[in-house]
Amino acid sequence: MADISADTDPTRKAAKLASLCSALFRERGIELVVVGDSAIELLTEGAYTSGDVDLCRLTPDPLPLRERQEIMGRLGAKGGPRSWQVAGGFVDLLGPLESLARTPLRKLQGAFDVIQLAQPEELLVERVLVSIYPQPHPPARDCAKKLAAVALGGAMELDWKEVRRLASRPEYGILTACKALVREVANELKTKSPLDPNR
Amino acid sequence: MSWEDWLKGRRWRRELGNRVAPEVIRRSRSSSDRRLRKLFKGRRGLPFSPTDKL
Repeated sequence: MADISADTDPTRKAAKLASLCSALFRERGIELVVVGDSAIELLTEGAYTSGDVDLCRLTPDPLPLRERQEIMGRLGAKGGPRSWQVAGGFVDLLGPLESLARTPLRKLQGAFDVIQLAQPEELLVERVLVSIYPQPHPPARDCAKKLAAVALGGAMELDWKEVRRLASRPEYGILTACKALVREVANELKTKSPLDPNR
Repeated sequence: MSWEDWLKGRRWRRELGNRVAPEVIRRSRSSSDRRLRKLFKGRRGLPFSPTDKL
């Protein structure tokens, strides 16, 4: 805990916190997944996230409030029952994971235990959606561009067929916007877009 | 991915992102603003490490 508290790098600190929380919940048979901005930060180093770590449960079973408080209490956390202040940051436990992706969760061997990360295919499609609906949102667009750049540059594995499938689903319905964004990033990186194989 | 490989890849990932968007894209506000700004002395989180320090 002292190591995490003393760490002044926000991304590395978030990774350590996620790793430690994953270890403690795993001891009780509860698998956690880093989601949203926090997952994007760990995958892209995009300087996007704020001072909180967003986690969801992979296991759908309810997690009694007292058990959550006991687990987080072992870290000296304050607050609850869904958000705690711990080691100079915040940990938010948001509920069961919602995901349409068929690709596996990504795994990072953290400082204390394995961290599971939401699928970058769905993170990308989500960000593209948020960047245009309900109205244009430039921060989400920058975030989506960074995700695409890290994948196109070879620093992160991404299943582009899955991106296409998710973007085409009625829950998202943004294939055209997704293709346009990835094409733009590919042009900036002077490479080809995997979503435009015939161009 | 191992912890060591993740640490080693940080600069590369940041540099790729910097080619297509501004270096720091942290949102200026969110529903968590109050608690974040209270803990981080008016900011929404710790300052990000510069790319050349990764």
